Amino acid sequence: MIRYIDVHKAFDIPVLSGVDMTVETGEMFALFGPSGTGKSVLLKTTLALIVPDRGDVHVDGISVHHGPPGSLEQVRRKIGYVFQHAALFDSLNVFDNVSMGLPESEIARMSRADTARRVWEALEIVNLEPREILAKLPSELSGGMKKRVGIARAIVGRPEILLWDEPTTGLDPVNTAAVERLIKRLSGELEVTSLVVTHDVEGGLLMCDRVAMLSGGTLRFCGTPEEFRNCPDPVVRAFVDRAAAEAALDMATT
Amino acid sequence: MKRLAVAHPIPTAVVGWFARIGRAYRITLEHAGALGMLTWDSFVAVVRLRVRFRDVLTQTHIMGIQSLPIVFVTASLAGIVTSQQGGYQLISSSPRYVLGTLVVQSVVLELGPLLTAIVLVGRIGARITAELGTMVVSEQIDAFKSLGRDPVAILAAPRIIAGLITMPLLVGFADVVGIYAGMLMADLDGGLGKETFFYGARLFWHSWDLFYGFSKAVVFGFVIPVISVHMGLRTKGGAEGVGLQTTQAVMFMILTILIIDALFPPLMLQ
Repeated sequence: MIRYIDVHKAFDIPVLSGVDMTVETGEMFALFGPSGTGKSVLLKTTLALIVPDRGDVHVDGISVHHGPPGSLEQVRRKIGYVFQHAALFDSLNVFDNVSMGLPESEIARMSRADTARRVWEALEIVNLEPREILAKLPSELSGGMKKRVGIARAIVGRPEILLWDEPTTGLDPVNTAAVERLIKRLSGELEVTSLVVTHDVEGGLLMCDRVAMLSGGTLRFCGTPEEFRNCPDPVVRAFVDRAAAEAALDMATT
Repeated sequence: MKRLAVAHPIPTAVVGWFARIGRAYRITLEHAGALGMLTWDSFVAVVRLRVRFRDVLTQTHIMGIQSLPIVFVTASLAGIVTSQQGGYQLISSSPRYVLGTLVVQSVVLELGPLLTAIVLVGRIGARITAELGTMVVSEQIDAFKSLGRDPVAILAAPRIIAGLITMPLLVGFADVVGIYAGMLMADLDGGLGKETFFYGARLFWHSWDLFYGFSKAVVFGFVIPVISVHMGLRTKGGAEGVGLQTTQAVMFMILTILIIDALFPPLMLQ
């Protein structure tokens, strides 16, 4: 379970102004919101990649920002993070990139063959042909392949929680649908808790058990996809209905 | 609302001047603190054996072996120019063997360490800042952290260790090349023989001078990677941010090296 408790963060201007949110164990949770509302910032506070000005995040009861020494490492071992643009290490080939997802302590105990097997399995799970790409550098991969390698790196360590930062951004519709199917399948097969930050409202509503929406630095909505679709809040409506979104945009710009 | 009257308003220019001083002071302290933390974290990573030998070896190769050609050219030219200019100035005022003293002392005490450091700022320092800056803006540093890896142990410490190893070796190489180039030029230009050249060099030679030059090399070998890593990890924005940060890092490194160089004589040559 992930609990965000009164999370505040400002970069020159306030981005998060007291966010309280809970993601239950085993559920798929989507977080929506317009650009610049702090969705990725909130996601990054889960792993202390960004430190909040106030508040805390608890992962399975462990405090990320105010815990005793070693608690952050404990939390990071539980979580796999899929970055928006994959964030593959340029100088490493696919094998080394994916194997970086294995905890150091585990690698030390594993034989080279075991490591290779785990990497191979992770790449197969994300529908990549390991034989063809293991030796390739990130610069030799397409956008969709990079994304999948990034996902393989996040799942190879068998995390309990997966955080997805805009997993479909920059992908064409075919790849978007494929990645969404993959997220859904992985969450089921690996029985992980998933928190997906996305702009793709329809995809998020179809995939997830619960959804939330950030707006103006606070949580505007949190509930089931059905409740989200029927929510009377005009800002939420704007997200559900493209026409309403355009109307809201017109209102905002006039 | 009633406005408060100020009897002697402070001129805006004065306020701005103090504000600039305050800002510069704050930025300096921020950098000093961050550099101190980076140094400490790197030291801890080394002590806890979290630095991979392979990474140190790779960085040593990049900083050392790959820098040899440019260090060779720079040191040769420094030796040649010192020999020619020294010969021109000393021709009618001092014994000719003094040219050996001049070249050796100039190269060992100053030109070898300083020019090698400046070359490494351009070749290695800028490269490190740009490389790490790009890793920051493409979230690769965050990826390291999210995977439970310590970027300091993987990226900073190997570069700092490599700097400490390679810089004295490069300075030693630059000293030898610079002295021999100066000696050859003295022979070609003024007909000063090898024996006379080295007679002059030995006449005023102190072993301390060598220690002095290598001390500079060690300090510069530490300063260049530490500042370049520090600046790289503080990069913000996209490609423009990387470019800006790299430029600032080069300026920061050169200025720091020149200041440290100026502090060496009062500290070690008294």
